[in-house]
Amino acid sequence: MRTFTNLLKTELKLNIRNMNMVIFAVIMPVVVLVVLGIIYQSRPAYPGAEYTFLEQSMSAVCTISICAGGLMGLPIVVSEYRERKILKRFQVTPVSPVMLLVVEFTIYVLYALVSMVLLFPAAACFWGVAFRGSWPAFIGSWFLTLISTLSIGMMVGGIAKDTKIASVIASILYFPMLIFSGATVPFEVMPKMLQKIVGLFPLTQGIQLMKAASLGLAVDNLWLPVAVMGAVAIVCTGIAVKCFQWE
Amino acid sequence: MGKAKEAIRVSGLTKIYNGKKVLDGLNLSVKNGTVFGLLGANGAGKSTTIECILGTRRAEQGTALVLGRDPGKERRALFQKVGVQFQEGDYQPEIKVSEICEEIACLYDSPSDWRELCERFGIGDKLKNAVKSLSGGERQRLFIVLALIPAPELVFLDELTTGLDAKARRTVWKILEDLKAQGLTIFLTSHFMDEVEALCDEVCILKKGKTVFYGTIEQAKEQSGCEKFEDAYLKFSDEEADA
Repeated sequence: MRTFTNLLKTELKLNIRNMNMVIFAVIMPVVVLVVLGIIYQSRPAYPGAEYTFLEQSMSAVCTISICAGGLMGLPIVVSEYRERKILKRFQVTPVSPVMLLVVEFTIYVLYALVSMVLLFPAAACFWGVAFRGSWPAFIGSWFLTLISTLSIGMMVGGIAKDTKIASVIASILYFPMLIFSGATVPFEVMPKMLQKIVGLFPLTQGIQLMKAASLGLAVDNLWLPVAVMGAVAIVCTGIAVKCFQWE
Repeated sequence: MGKAKEAIRVSGLTKIYNGKKVLDGLNLSVKNGTVFGLLGANGAGKSTTIECILGTRRAEQGTALVLGRDPGKERRALFQKVGVQFQEGDYQPEIKVSEICEEIACLYDSPSDWRELCERFGIGDKLKNAVKSLSGGERQRLFIVLALIPAPELVFLDELTTGLDAKARRTVWKILEDLKAQGLTIFLTSHFMDEVEALCDEVCILKKGKTVFYGTIEQAKEQSGCEKFEDAYLKFSDEEADA
């Protein structure tokens, strides 16, 4: 435990000093919220809706940070540490690979948490966004979305040969998911055809689940998204740990 | 940790890269509390030997036992008591001296006081500096400090004083002699023969992955008929010089 907290402290400091994640995982979601807030104010989601457009978008905005950490931050930091032979230096110490992965994983959990904690009060303050659903259900689906996305990143970082390949894979995953899963462009304004395609992203499933939980809507097939995200988390984490390479 | 008489035992170590034997049936034995020098020209296989002993590279043939353990199988227990300084030490881009020391220290059950080590190695006033802002010599000393943080029984130092000025080298020698007197076993590689002569109890000279000399400094001078160890080294390592 002492090792974990010490490593976490140092690695978190380094990560914040780097600023990339502060911008992409903390500031950017706030910017998106402000833009949506200015455009939609407290307009209802559709004529006659019981909730506002912004209330409907909150879940998606919360996942911007998850995307940035899981599909950019995590894979790049793991592959960079391998390429720079920092992992090789750790290989000749008693630390376990799982410990190192858990430390990096935790950093991005913290970013996502900070982002969410900033977004809800800000939205409530400026645009009267109310939380209509169940907090436990929302936090549960948020957490599931978080670990499934981060585990994808951990796997990419684990199997990518170098930082360059990791960034390419990260971008291929990050941009389409960020733009089309409903994280920046609201799912509701997309054409039906596009909705069907992006429904295949695990992140889209997560957002839909979080949305239902935050708005207090019924979910038809609750177990489908839960099973998809759970399976992704388990498979990707398994691959990341099994295929871990120090060099 | 069992008190084996031998800190390192290597037998028949063979490593092949791209069909070429870079290590060919290497045998070594390093006694506890001694300083062992692995010498040879660039590319003779020194770093490969260290990596195969440590288990970071897998040898095609042969075995290496470190403090009586197999590094491949008992990595975590073994490295509680073994410190390593690699030739190309790298670090996180933004990390400070105090942070890198703290990060390494927290991995061990009973680490040394890293502030004191930094002080002894003359970088005690640099703790708040970024590692990347250190001079080459300061960084080299930092990486020796990192290898000593575990309070090891055995330390590997690959090209320990490369980049150090004459005075800093003497300081490093003095500290290593003190640590040896306290029972530390040291496995080093070096290109400075004065250093090897001052520190090493036994040496092994490698040439293209094969042992061309193994023994004490005195034996090297005797066998080669040279008065100076550096001449003896050159004679052994440059024998039948390449075309």
